[in-house]
Amino acid sequence: MAFNSTVETLPQMGRFSLRCKRENTVAMSKALGFELPSSISETAQSGNRSVLKLGPDEWMLTCLMEERSAIERSFAAIYPDAVHSLTDISSREVSIRISGPEAEELLTTSCPRDLAVLKSGRGVRTIFDSVQVILTREDNNQFRLDVWRSFVPHVMGLLTVAVAEFECGL
Amino acid sequence: MNNWRVDGKGRINRDKRVRFTFDGVSYQGYEGDTVASALLANGVHLMGRSFKYHRPRGPVTAGSEEPNALIGTSRSGTGRFEPNTRATVQELYEGLTTVSQNKWPSLKFDVGAVNDKLHKLFAAGFYYKTFMWPKSFWDKVYEPVIRASAGLGVSPTEPDADTYASRYLHTELLIVGAGPAGLAAALTAARNGTEVVLVDENRELGGSLLSEAPSAIDGNNTESWLAEVITELEARDNVRVMTRATAIGYYHENMVGVAEKLTDHMAHPPANAPRERMWRIRAQEVILAQGALERPLVFDGNDRPGVMMAGATQTYLNRYGVKVGNAAVVVTSHDSAWYAAFDLADAGVKIPAIVDVRATVNEYLQSEAQKRGITAKVGHSVTSVSGTKRVSGVKIGRISGDQQVADISSIPCDAVLMSGGWTPSLHLFSHTKGSLHWDEENEVFLPGERTERCHIAGGGRGLWSQQAAFDDGVHAAQQALTSLGQSAQALSVDVDGDRAGSGVVMEELPSNNDKLARRAFVDFQNDVTAKDIRLAVREGMLSIEHVKRFTTNGMATDQGKMSNMNGLKIAADELGRPTPKVGLTTFRPPYTPTTFGTFAGYHKDELFEVTRKTNIDSWAEENGAVFEPVSLWRRAWYYPKAGEDMHAAVARECRETRASVGMFDASTLGKIEVVGPDAAEFMNRMYTNPWTKLAAGRCRYGLLLGEDGFIRDDGVIGRISEDRFHVTTTTGGAARVLTMMEHFLQTEWPDLDVWLTSTTEQWSTIALNGPNARKVLEPFVKGADLSAEAFPHMALRECSVGSFEARLFRVSFTGELGFEVNVPSEHGRALWEILYQEGKKYDMCVYGTETMHVLRAEKGFIIVGQDTDGTVTPADAGLTWAIGKKKPDFVGKRSLTRPDMLLPNRKQLVGLLTEDPSVVLEEGAQIVETGDTAIPAKMLGHVTSSYWSEALGRSIAMALIEGGFERNSTSIDVPMPGQTHRATISGTVFYDPDGDRIKM
Repeated sequence: MAFNSTVETLPQMGRFSLRCKRENTVAMSKALGFELPSSISETAQSGNRSVLKLGPDEWMLTCLMEERSAIERSFAAIYPDAVHSLTDISSREVSIRISGPEAEELLTTSCPRDLAVLKSGRGVRTIFDSVQVILTREDNNQFRLDVWRSFVPHVMGLLTVAVAEFECGL
Repeated sequence: MNNWRVDGKGRINRDKRVRFTFDGVSYQGYEGDTVASALLANGVHLMGRSFKYHRPRGPVTAGSEEPNALIGTSRSGTGRFEPNTRATVQELYEGLTTVSQNKWPSLKFDVGAVNDKLHKLFAAGFYYKTFMWPKSFWDKVYEPVIRASAGLGVSPTEPDADTYASRYLHTELLIVGAGPAGLAAALTAARNGTEVVLVDENRELGGSLLSEAPSAIDGNNTESWLAEVITELEARDNVRVMTRATAIGYYHENMVGVAEKLTDHMAHPPANAPRERMWRIRAQEVILAQGALERPLVFDGNDRPGVMMAGATQTYLNRYGVKVGNAAVVVTSHDSAWYAAFDLADAGVKIPAIVDVRATVNEYLQSEAQKRGITAKVGHSVTSVSGTKRVSGVKIGRISGDQQVADISSIPCDAVLMSGGWTPSLHLFSHTKGSLHWDEENEVFLPGERTERCHIAGGGRGLWSQQAAFDDGVHAAQQALTSLGQSAQALSVDVDGDRAGSGVVMEELPSNNDKLARRAFVDFQNDVTAKDIRLAVREGMLSIEHVKRFTTNGMATDQGKMSNMNGLKIAADELGRPTPKVGLTTFRPPYTPTTFGTFAGYHKDELFEVTRKTNIDSWAEENGAVFEPVSLWRRAWYYPKAGEDMHAAVARECRETRASVGMFDASTLGKIEVVGPDAAEFMNRMYTNPWTKLAAGRCRYGLLLGEDGFIRDDGVIGRISEDRFHVTTTTGGAARVLTMMEHFLQTEWPDLDVWLTSTTEQWSTIALNGPNARKVLEPFVKGADLSAEAFPHMALRECSVGSFEARLFRVSFTGELGFEVNVPSEHGRALWEILYQEGKKYDMCVYGTETMHVLRAEKGFIIVGQDTDGTVTPADAGLTWAIGKKKPDFVGKRSLTRPDMLLPNRKQLVGLLTEDPSVVLEEGAQIVETGDTAIPAKMLGHVTSSYWSEALGRSIAMALIEGGFERNSTSIDVPMPGQTHRATISGTVFYDPDGDRIKM
């Protein structure tokens, strides 16, 4: 059986955890330059910046590494009027991209969620084996796992074994 | 060989011969055979010895419920021996090596069979009664002997060489079992477009159709009908068919575990192929179409090789083309065995008699028997079986009254086909805690109230005919589809030559033989006889749960698939109570024995468990560190140089750190960023300490209690800015503390404007400690003045270190001048190497967790979880100074004033100095007043931390001791293996009590 999918770790990207109460989301959108997604699992993006809403008051913001200070400055400017928490977690996580026709099934080796209902452009905080991850379906056949740095070898190890299993055809 | 093959019968591939060995003898079978069918084809019935009495045994079934024919199998390569494989399930492949079990020196002559002669001694409960006295014999004599003789087969000695896989699967409809009911359900749902997963434990779909083909289905012969259906199902995108896949457990919310065997049937599995895969299937609806299992009849000698389930002999004939004997007597209480007899007779097996225990049997069956020249002995019973390693004949007689027979005669034969009727297979339904109700008329338990979205179809509902099963499968699918909000076209499958039937449920068959001498087995695998069950009842076991434990009936690996109902029936009879009143034992997963590998899945070797490593870990590994696990992390424990043992390495690391400077990887410390205008208020409420007045750029030791007032965690907390705190926690407490904080924030104080973010992995943390720490660090710091005046102890600065953005803390967990540098975690190793180079100028050492422990103990700093155990208050630990007395509240505050929290004789944390300074006490050692106290001595407490202190040139220890503060300067005894040591109670600060060394 031919296996045509790839598993790769991605270069570092800028990442922030953004937290705020509902009444301040409009101000956050202004600081960011585009509207924050309003329902959980939804993503929004503009240029190199993207945002995933993970919880009622929680967003994950990704950007280029060099854009970080500009973002921090614009959020600091609105802080007195719209309190929030913007915390740099660029070094906390590493992203793994799984892409190809077998990507979805490859993930089912360790991810208990029903991936068929995770539509393109949506993301969830979930588990992969025993590891907490943020799973985003970037495209129909392309997924991204954001994994805390020290858990990456475990997740990559599982994916590597899974790839060998798929390649053997059984 | 293969003299017992029947031409034109069976689904084996006669073009493909397969050689295998059993107990060293080479045999030949065909592709499609099981080990059991191939051995039977070679005339071999004797396949094993029983567990307790070592009685010769052969296969009694043809499926996964087999209790007798358990063998050892070896696949190629080491680490691939498996005991207790069911010969009736293991598929044949070229070169398969198999051995029999539980015999010595050989299967045919087994010394352990002496147990059988002594069976009157080994009655149920024998172990419980016999091995009670003398008490002292238990450890040395009884237990070792019992252990050595217990268990079937030999445990593998090599690590398992195979790999195992797992998969999650979500589907609308899961169907378990691909017999008539399952196939009909699958077809109905599949044609409707429903997402279907169909699993079956066998190699082929078909279930009972493979063992007993009706003359036609939908006007087609069964074989073609089946082939067409399978082709259709496999071709559909919405259907996934899995064979060799056993649904082993039914868990909450319609999660069904399915163990799929991938390579056990292959002579040459593909490289890297996993042996088995565990499917965790979450189905919106489940149809259980597992059919029914045939029950044995209970009569003297019913376990002799050659005595088999009638249905199994039909399977051997129709599926494998094997006749189980040349002359087979049938003994039954159900119509189905008559059909088995007809099938065997039509294949050329002589049927000397059908012995039916019922008073009447329908005319049709009797005339069909007559047509074949078979003598029907209605109202008769089998009273005994002759033959030891293979049945050679039976004695039968007319039932003349309760447990009485007359007109006894002998019939020679080489096989006995028995059927006590059929038990609906409700194991998975039982896992769901679905209730069972007793069907009085047919004397079976049937599915009652459901707790999950599941439907039972076919034999599992007590339906006995293939037409009924097909119809019921369609019905179940329609119900499932309705639940899914879909509607389905009704499908009809028409069976010609269906063999409907009925039967009665029996206790032991009537016999005139001495009751005590009868060997009428109920549980073949655990060697439980009818006599044992009756004895258990007479001994006072009133519930079937007690009878089960007293006799071990149903406790073998087959979980009583064949024995439960017979055991229950006999117990109910002995008790004189109705069967349902005696109860039914609970089935638990797995349905059939499942390898540990399948449960473990990918979790072996380096993937056994998550091992978290810091960015600096690779340097530690390259530089010879010895590691220890700390929660999920592995941490450098110490760094031995050539020739050093742990003691020498740790002593050196301690010495060099205090003399000059040492460097330590503290990255695993938990870190939480607390941000928002209410951050200080939140910290005030969570921690015991006051935070309002802590200035930005300063840090403070923080103590966290539970609501019970006991110490939960601690750490240094820095105020980055007015609204931002950098909290550190213990390594193991990181997740727990964040969870606890979130819990209070979300449920108690949702009004606070503050948010928590885990930043443990955002930072790599390097600790530098020692008089020269500043000198090592200073050249690389930009944007901060490190001088003692500008950067005092417990201050922090955001700056740059080695060109990396950094949060620099001046803190000390050693009592020396100390710094902790936090840089983005990916730069940890780079900075470590920069500092390591610079440190060479000062003879800097790197140290691990053990030295860290020693250095902090010399200063009396506690480690939460080592010096505390969840019962220690701040006062007990001498930490009242860390409590903000003016704060209105904090978590645990009220508990601290409960009367028993203020008692003077609470266990308190103190120092211990042994009289002999060279003695290092054992951590965990108990403490008593004096060592010569009579046992039981009153335990005053225990040693929590104990080390050799290089700085002091003697041992030091900390201990939790009852009223410890009051006892200061008094002595206590610490009994340890071999010797009791006297020690004096002291304060906990052993080194530099005035704290001068951090003031540099």
